[in-house]
Amino acid sequence: MIGEGILSSNQKPHKHVQEEVPVGFFTDPTVCIGCKACEVACKEWNNVPAEVNPWTGHSYDNTLSLGASTWRHVLFLEEAKPRGPQIAGPMGNGNGQDPFRWVFLSDVCKHCEVAGCLESCPTGAIMRTETQSVYVQDDVCNGCGYCVVSCPFGVIDRRENTAPGKGGAFKCTFCYDRQISGLTPACAKACPTESIRFGPLKDLQVEGRKRVQELRAQSYQDAQLYDPTETSVRGIHAFFLLLGRPENYRLPPRPEVPTIYLAAAYGSVVATALLALAFVLCVFAFL
Amino acid sequence: DDLGHPKRDLSLQHPRCVFQILKRHYSRYTPEMVQKVTGCPPDLFQRVAEAFTSCSGPEKTAAICYAVGWTQHTVGVQIIRAASILQLLLGNIGRPGGGILALRGHASIQGSTDIPTLYDALPGYLPIPRGTKEYDEEKLSKFLETYTNSTGLWHNLPAYTVSLLKAYYGRSARQDNEWGWRYLPRINRDHSHLAYFAEMKQGKVEGFFLMGQNPAVGGQHSRFERLALSKLKWMVVRDMVEIESACWWYKSPEIERGELKTEEIGTEIFLLPAAGHTEKEGCFTNTQRLLQFREKAVNPPGDCRSESWFIHQLAKRLIARARASNDPLDEPLRALDWWYPENEEGEPVVECVLAEINGWKTDPQEGPEGVFKSGFDRDGRPHHGPQLGRYEELKADGSTASGCWIYTGVLGRDGVSKAARREAQGRYGHGWGFTWPSDRRIIYNRASARPDGSPWSKLKELVWWDKDKGEWTGLDVPDFKKKKAPDYRPPPDAEGLNGQPGDAPFILHEDGLGWIYVPKGLQDGPLPTHFEPIESPVKNALYRRNTNPPVNWFTLEENPKAVPGDPRFPYVLSTFRLTEHHTAGGMSRWLSHLAELQPEMFAEISPELANQLGIQHGDHITVVSLRGGIEVRAMVSRRIRPLHLNGKTVHQVFMPFHFGAAGPFPGGSVNDLMELCAEPNISIHEGKTCLCNLIPERMPPGPDFWKWFQEKARPGAGPNRHPEEPPPGAPTGGRLIPGHGQHGKTH
Amino acid sequence: MNDRFEKRLDDLREEARNKGGVTAAGVKPVGGPIPAQLGAPEAMLGTGYYGLPFLKPPVWKWMIAVYFFIGGLAGMSGLIAVAALMKGQYQMVRVAMWSAGMGGILSPVLLTWDLGRPTRFLNMLRVFKYQSPMSVGSWIVSAFGACAVPGLGFVEWHWQNMQGGQLTPAVQIIAAILVIGSGMAGIFLATYTGALIAVTAVPAWNLHRVLLPFHFGMAGLGSASAMVELAGFRQPALNVIGLFAASAQVLVMLYLELRKHGAADRALHEGKSGWVLRIGEALEGPLALALRAAGLVPEAAIAFLLGALISRFGWLSAGTACANDPEAVLASQCGDKRLAESRFPHALEPATASSQQSRSSLPRKNTKEHKA
Ligand SMILES: Nc1nc2c(c(=O)[nH]1)N[C@H]1C(S)=C(S)[C@@H](COP(=O)(O)OP(=O)(O)OC[C@H]3O[C@@H](n4cnc5c(=O)[nH]c(N)nc54)[C@H](O)[C@@H]3O)O[C@H]1N2
Ligand SMILES: Nc1nc2c(c(=O)[nH]1)N[C@H]1C(S)=C(S)[C@@H](COP(=O)(O)OP(=O)(O)OC[C@H]3O[C@@H](n4cnc5c(=O)[nH]c(N)nc54)[C@H](O)[C@@H]3O)O[C@H]1N2
Ligand code: SF4
Ligand code: SF4
Ligand code: SF4
Ligand code: SF4
Ligand code: SF4
Ligand SMILES: [Mo]
Repeated sequence: MIGEGILSSNQKPHKHVQEEVPVGFFTDPTVCIGCKACEVACKEWNNVPAEVNPWTGHSYDNTLSLGASTWRHVLFLEEAKPRGPQIAGPMGNGNGQDPFRWVFLSDVCKHCEVAGCLESCPTGAIMRTETQSVYVQDDVCNGCGYCVVSCPFGVIDRRENTAPGKGGAFKCTFCYDRQISGLTPACAKACPTESIRFGPLKDLQVEGRKRVQELRAQSYQDAQLYDPTETSVRGIHAFFLLLGRPENYRLPPRPEVPTIYLAAAYGSVVATALLALAFVLCVFAFL
Repeated sequence: DDLGHPKRDLSLQHPRCVFQILKRHYSRYTPEMVQKVTGCPPDLFQRVAEAFTSCSGPEKTAAICYAVGWTQHTVGVQIIRAASILQLLLGNIGRPGGGILALRGHASIQGSTDIPTLYDALPGYLPIPRGTKEYDEEKLSKFLETYTNSTGLWHNLPAYTVSLLKAYYGRSARQDNEWGWRYLPRINRDHSHLAYFAEMKQGKVEGFFLMGQNPAVGGQHSRFERLALSKLKWMVVRDMVEIESACWWYKSPEIERGELKTEEIGTEIFLLPAAGHTEKEGCFTNTQRLLQFREKAVNPPGDCRSESWFIHQLAKRLIARARASNDPLDEPLRALDWWYPENEEGEPVVECVLAEINGWKTDPQEGPEGVFKSGFDRDGRPHHGPQLGRYEELKADGSTASGCWIYTGVLGRDGVSKAARREAQGRYGHGWGFTWPSDRRIIYNRASARPDGSPWSKLKELVWWDKDKGEWTGLDVPDFKKKKAPDYRPPPDAEGLNGQPGDAPFILHEDGLGWIYVPKGLQDGPLPTHFEPIESPVKNALYRRNTNPPVNWFTLEENPKAVPGDPRFPYVLSTFRLTEHHTAGGMSRWLSHLAELQPEMFAEISPELANQLGIQHGDHITVVSLRGGIEVRAMVSRRIRPLHLNGKTVHQVFMPFHFGAAGPFPGGSVNDLMELCAEPNISIHEGKTCLCNLIPERMPPGPDFWKWFQEKARPGAGPNRHPEEPPPGAPTGGRLIPGHGQHGKTH
Repeated sequence: MNDRFEKRLDDLREEARNKGGVTAAGVKPVGGPIPAQLGAPEAMLGTGYYGLPFLKPPVWKWMIAVYFFIGGLAGMSGLIAVAALMKGQYQMVRVAMWSAGMGGILSPVLLTWDLGRPTRFLNMLRVFKYQSPMSVGSWIVSAFGACAVPGLGFVEWHWQNMQGGQLTPAVQIIAAILVIGSGMAGIFLATYTGALIAVTAVPAWNLHRVLLPFHFGMAGLGSASAMVELAGFRQPALNVIGLFAASAQVLVMLYLELRKHGAADRALHEGKSGWVLRIGEALEGPLALALRAAGLVPEAAIAFLLGALISRFGWLSAGTACANDPEAVLASQCGDKRLAESRFPHALEPATASSQQSRSSLPRKNTKEHKA
């Protein structure tokens, strides 16, 4: 928690990997200041190349989305909604109420309970770590790109032509390298407001629910948790608190793991194959 | 009264008591007036005022944090003064959770006023001697006579001053030469940033060292400043990248527009690579006066060197030359006591510099109770005696030396640097770093106890009077004489701290009291007063006078200004920072991981204004002021809202100031639009506001610009002098008062 | 490295200069649901995030579309070869095995070519994962190649011997086994590709998980017999297969037109991708059928082959379009009703100059094939 300083789970050395504790991120936009320290810390630690986009005009978001070279991404929303109990300034139209809020959310790979990318990877490059995070082994990935279309959150992507790692698929590693040596993820460590909270998943989930109650009480009516446990994804290890609807944060309201389509598709494959077999043999036999 | 103490009326009824004067002065500053001037509706003002005042009292304190939104105005000092009056009245000074906190810009801005990079102050807020007809401070005696107060902490000014001189000149500082007083330079006029750039522009400055600054972007009217640089004979730039201030001679709007021709520029430029903050060790002093030591993380690459290396090596060479000459002008250099031991890279050992800042007994001696471990000069001879523990030990007889009296104690007799401590204990983190003076975490903390010495409340207790022990004690180091009882009343002839009563916390002031009405030391009036900025869309609703009278206008042909409500420039331009960039961009525009986050210069405007001008979000538009124009992307956002001032709707244009012509991510520099003008007390620029206009089209690159500018901005179509602006040459602003806390005696 | 950025940005600025101002209708504050007319009620509606897509579009290039075609053709050729073998029509076995064998070589080549890291193709065989059609497919391709390529060799060898007159039963048996193997692997090679794209997060694909394998399989079958026909064989059996495959495609086409999923799979019907797909299907479905009915066999065969190829491209670009269309994803998850109340103004309007630039610079990040 903010104020715990070096005792905060964002800073404290830990043994989660050794003790196989499932860990997670709880990201809370209501305290995010949009400083992007997480985004930069991630790129710095993981030596991710910069992608120079032009100025987008999408508020202060110039990196647009998660991708092969953006593993943390801060979204900037400008909404005509009141922000909790805050004392609002004089309004543009001169006549009193004209509510406005600027919301920031630091997006990241969700480290799904059931991960589309992992299920789909034909080389076994994507694996589950001791802390239940989803990790891409760069030395195995051959860049087939199947994970890219299998992620229901549009997170993982193939790095087309920039070094390092050209041609491979990349996403948040959950700083596995840091975690094995007892360090906390670079993004959480850098976050000055602890809008990103790193820690054992169980604790974070409790904390998350508490936080929502707190905010509701403070007249943040549309505060809710985003953690699709009821869908086939069965929950995410990097979950979020949202003000308003998921789609406003480019989060799918009802994400599904593609593997739920397997039965139907395979069924159709076998049926078609047999149909073709039988049909062809018959026509040749009888004509 | 007959003792020279001001009369007091504790009933606050006397018509000429400060309280009544205050009431009269501010009687016209009503909520309705606030709305007229700022556009803030009375009910909103009411809510904010209630929130603030209801959080002040025995059980509660409120702090005011400010930064450059308050300071960068021609009334900047008055704004901060207003805040201090509020906090004094609400009892929010010297108490936990109270105070007025300047959110400092760079890691050691506080440090750079304690040990100043300012032209008008010496370390520890000692004024720098002036050499004018008005004030002749040629002799030390005269200087001390002017500034030494009979009561309060400044009573010890002679000890502080002589100790400083001993630190500078060592053995060359002797009784018979007034401790080398005459070696110090004298100032004879305003030498602040804007002032010397104005002189530079007139060709009055020959050479220039630029270390860690980028005035070609960060400086006001930066076009003016770039042109000024072209008048130099030589300049040395020490930076980590080739910033605008180093490459203006081949890459700048002036070059692009053909106003400057590279081959015609006579300035010789030396660009020296600097080591960054991770590549050198040293102390930072933050806004709460906390000194923290930071280790070096990596060695600087290639030829990059730290400032201390550069200054040290330069000094050694200059001193050697001075020794070789017998020019009396070189006397100060010859007198310098440049003793610092070096490490293998030729860096002065920074710990030794800190040791000197802390101070020591001057006569060299060895042995255990003798000198601190690295107290030996480059020839291995013991250079000085034991370290000092407290500034109270400083003497005016030359037996002590201290580079900055307020820092005494940071590296005491044990030879351990307290700035490097990392064991925070208790609520105020004692044991982490060192807070000047004497590790007092909250200054003036005597105010955290009632006059009788008991805490205002359990919740807010900090230091209190322990009757049994008969001394001040508590959670913090008392910023007060340890044994001075609350009911102590000074005898008439008492001097120094003894001259102050036991219930007077503000020990730097003679009377030990917080000053609401400030009789001295300020250029502009004893009570803060509202004036409009130099360029404003409206007239001052409070007074006939629009602008702060003693302001420094820099009346120059190249420094035109728009009149109040100038129809050519109807909008307010203001500037702000982006998290993604740092100041003039040298530390961010060259770093892809930062620059990719904010790759282009833009201006934020309200939907209303955009509608009015038919500007689309994302358009390329041009922002013009009387000084010039820059091209930006239009960012239409509800974040920006029109002001409703006194029945007039005023639109605002907000721009970051981080962009400049150089580097991989160039962009228009907002300071090309700002005018030169300086706040009278501390000569800060008015970087937060001027008048502008929006041209909803791109500006032509290259030589055609100024023609286009004439048509669109119409500088010819009106008066370009403010009615209150003095004619060229008239004496204005920047008069020589000793700044930064030292005002001399009350007469 | 700075130079790279410098150049990059110069290009972009240049581009911005040329593209000039902004084409968006009305002034719109950035972000959020702040409507063009200030204070309008829809201010309170969700709007998505600047119309940026939820999903990442496929990274696959043309090789994959061609592979789908070749794989289908080769796979089903294996089946034809088996049938021909059964009938003892060695000539036809040869021809069919040539398609199969060549396909067996080309397929891995195309697949490897498209990999981000081609040298690691063999990593595909590190594991077998039934839950990954790509993994299953890799094994199928390998098995097929392992049968079809040597199969072709043995068939040819055996054929030479037949010319020579004396038969070596060993060769004959091995050839037969390999041909049958090709056939068995082939029928799955031709169909699994449908599952491959169906089992993804892309609505336009996964909504048709049952249809796709059938669609691709039949296309493969038709292509295979069409090849044989083009090699000069005229035979009722082939003709019936041709008619069957073509009518299957007609059914597919009808199905797609009748069972539309609104915004979710509009990429199959609207825009560039929609048209490519339609043309492809028209060729392999109605047209091929008609020509065949008219007895124009070679024309029918060519139409079918073309159609089969083009429609594969259609499906691929439809996948890209759909993944880049946030509305499609939202509709597929919450239905068009939610979509209607929660519109994406940014997505519905032509983009601003700035995001046009980002398009050209970052096609993978915020293109919207649909509206652009
Ligand atoms: N990321 C980042 N951090 C920095 C810096 C940086 O460049 N980048 N710079 C550092 C430095 S050197 C400094 S000095 C500090 C400055 O820190 P800040 O003072 O926060 O800097 P600004 O954003 O320039 O100004 C603050 C606000 O003042 C508002 N403002 C403008 N005019 C007025 C006015 O008349 N009245 C009031 N009340 N507000 C006004 C602006 O809208 C702006 O939002 O930041 C430091 N920290
Ligand atoms: N309009 C407007 N103008 C403003 C402001 C505003 O708000 N509005 N803000 C003002 C304020 S508060 C400030 S502080 C100024 C800042 O303006 P400047 O100080 O002129 O700009 P900086 O970019 O901070 O310059 C610091 C330079 O030092 C270099 N540097 C960094 N570390 C080192 C080092 O260790 N050694 C050396 N030798 N160089 C180093 C950096 O690369 C950088 O180029 O701008 C002022 N200008
Ligand atoms: S969010 Fe996407 S990339 Fe991340 S684990 Fe889930 S499926 Fe994989
Ligand atoms: S691209 Fe790499 S990580 Fe993704 S599925 Fe293919 S092999 Fe696995
Ligand atoms: S966990 Fe590590 S890799 Fe993942 S976003 Fe944070 S910093 Fe980047
Ligand atoms: S570092 Fe923390 S506060 Fe800053 S943007 Fe990231 S999440 Fe928000
Ligand atoms: S000092 Fe603190 S606020 Fe300032 S830049 Fe560093 S982290 Fe941010
Ligand atoms: Mo600053």
